[in-house]
Amino acid sequence: MNDFHPGSRYLSAAFGVTWRYLHNLYTRPAQFIPSLLFPLFFLAAFAGGLSVVADSPDFGYYDYTAFQFSFVLIQASALAGVFAGFSIASDFELGMGRRMMLATPNRSAIVLGYAIGAASRLGVTWVLVTGVSLLAGMDVGGGGLDLAGMYSLALLGNIAALLFSAGIALRFRSLQAGPLMQMPIFILLFLAPVYVPQALLTGWIEPVASVNPVTAILNASRSLLAGEPTGVLAAYAIAFGLIAALTVWAITGLRRAEVAG
Amino acid sequence: MPVPADNGIEVEDLVRQFKNGPRAVDGISLEVKPGEIYGFLGPNGAGKSTTVHMLTTLLPPTAGIARVAGFDVATEGPLVRQVIGAALQEAALDPHLTGNEHMRLQTALQGLDREDRRARGTELIDRVGLSDAADRKVGGYSGGMKRRLDLALALVHRPRVLFLDEPTTGLDPQSRSALWEEVTRLSKEDGVTVFLTTQYLEEADQLAERVGIIDAGRIVAEGTPAELKAEIGRPSVEVVPRDPARADESAAILKRFGRPVPAAGEALGVRLSEGIDELVGIVRAFDEAAIELASLVLNEPTLDDVFLARTGHHLEGDEGAGDSGEIPLPDGATAG
Ligand SMILES: Nc1ncnc2c1ncn2[C@@H]1O[C@H](COP(=O)(O)OP(=O)(O)O)[C@@H](O)[C@H]1O
Ligand SMILES: [Mg+2]
Repeated sequence: MNDFHPGSRYLSAAFGVTWRYLHNLYTRPAQFIPSLLFPLFFLAAFAGGLSVVADSPDFGYYDYTAFQFSFVLIQASALAGVFAGFSIASDFELGMGRRMMLATPNRSAIVLGYAIGAASRLGVTWVLVTGVSLLAGMDVGGGGLDLAGMYSLALLGNIAALLFSAGIALRFRSLQAGPLMQMPIFILLFLAPVYVPQALLTGWIEPVASVNPVTAILNASRSLLAGEPTGVLAAYAIAFGLIAALTVWAITGLRRAEVAG
Repeated sequence: MPVPADNGIEVEDLVRQFKNGPRAVDGISLEVKPGEIYGFLGPNGAGKSTTVHMLTTLLPPTAGIARVAGFDVATEGPLVRQVIGAALQEAALDPHLTGNEHMRLQTALQGLDREDRRARGTELIDRVGLSDAADRKVGGYSGGMKRRLDLALALVHRPRVLFLDEPTTGLDPQSRSALWEEVTRLSKEDGVTVFLTTQYLEEADQLAERVGIIDAGRIVAEGTPAELKAEIGRPSVEVVPRDPARADESAAILKRFGRPVPAAGEALGVRLSEGIDELVGIVRAFDEAAIELASLVLNEPTLDDVFLARTGHHLEGDEGAGDSGEIPLPDGATAG
């Protein structure tokens, strides 16, 4: 009856959550399409409108579209995590959360399930964002290993954003908490060197950007795309550090949801 | 199937105090034996769902101890969840998934072996009579269909203890008796322990082997339906005089036959002190007094009488509500 391995049972529950998440996502285009259009809009707006920045002699990067692509890749990946956070909030608001809490002996499998779901939807997002950037004439400097490193950083950004959003979703258990998931991540993203390289930042944003963890990740991602990796190990260390801290945040959120009934 | 020895439920002084809210469960103790159908009967807001949430590990108790199948709900939640199934008062279903897709989700959540999932899902969907609707989205299901699906989902992992929170509220009589049949079958054939909450007297009376009556977070009576009714013992009679002006006179006549009890509307009630034989005497007395009666009803004791005797108010709905104020029960009325 219950004589399966605890480990396989745990994964089975997580995959159940993932399956439903992706099923609902892909069978309801109204939910999915907007989340794809959003990063494309940013790509078009920045890469097109601001490419004069690249004419500045101090720009120091090989290609403005590639420069913007790096940002949009991370932004879109983080957003995919946030959208999964919305689903958690809505599920707990509308009762499905309770079904999962009841049927899952080890409830962290629920968060894992959403995390796998959020990461799974990255495939479509990445293909789209990369494809459009290439069509827009982006040059790729890095080789296969560099690019794998770049996409992996985006994946870590996705996981961090999911864990952050999950922590909020499980604490509030209402879609009304949506802005609380979205806003901090947006602010953090835009307090990084989005439009110009870090060296060209002036005013208050300069010190802020220098301590923003997104800056290190973004800079490393751009260096990988250029094929001149710098600060990559530090970026990975920061990303894993963020994920470790946010895992605690998400799991304590789960505990809150558990005691709230 | 043999009944494992530890399939029961033990609850001791269980309390749930909501933050800035009521003490919804106020120190209840009860025991459900393995394989038994236990009816938890009480009006709206009595604390039934809160109790179920604590026993199913959805809500931690504020105080007290509860063991389900031998596992402590507060400290051994994962073990409890492996052996219980639950259909909550508000069936949590996803309107965008079909019945079969719900089965797929539930069997995965419960960690069934991959090969068993489809067969188990089909079997249960069939058992609750949803085969024809299995590929339709649940958003289009009726209330009864949703309940049936929810019950089927609760059973996928063959739970040893089943919690059903008001499973028949809002169901038509046909669906209700089908559900009663299924619950009885689960208990008798599969040895499943069933903890069922209800607001309905007949449900507790007919379905449950033992009943706990809860009001305002406290258990006011517990036992088999027969035991509980035997505590009340004697039947009651309600009369309505045709001429309302003669109500006082009528009450005086009734008083000769027993203790006044609350009754609905214009009716006057009396708990017969001798038993059913007095009925003839009552009819004769009204005849002699030349009081015409619009109605005369004999009530065998019901669980509502038990409830009334213990709490001073009626269990069900609005009918009779407030009567307890008109005819205060003497203190002795609560003695068994
Ligand atoms: N989450 C909650 N927060 C505050 N009060 C609650 C909560 N859930 C239930 N209650 C209150 O606890 C009491 C018992 O509720 P409940 O257990 O749902 O009763 P029943 O299921 O018997 O109708 C009610 O007064 C209800 O309003
Ligand atoms: Mg209830």
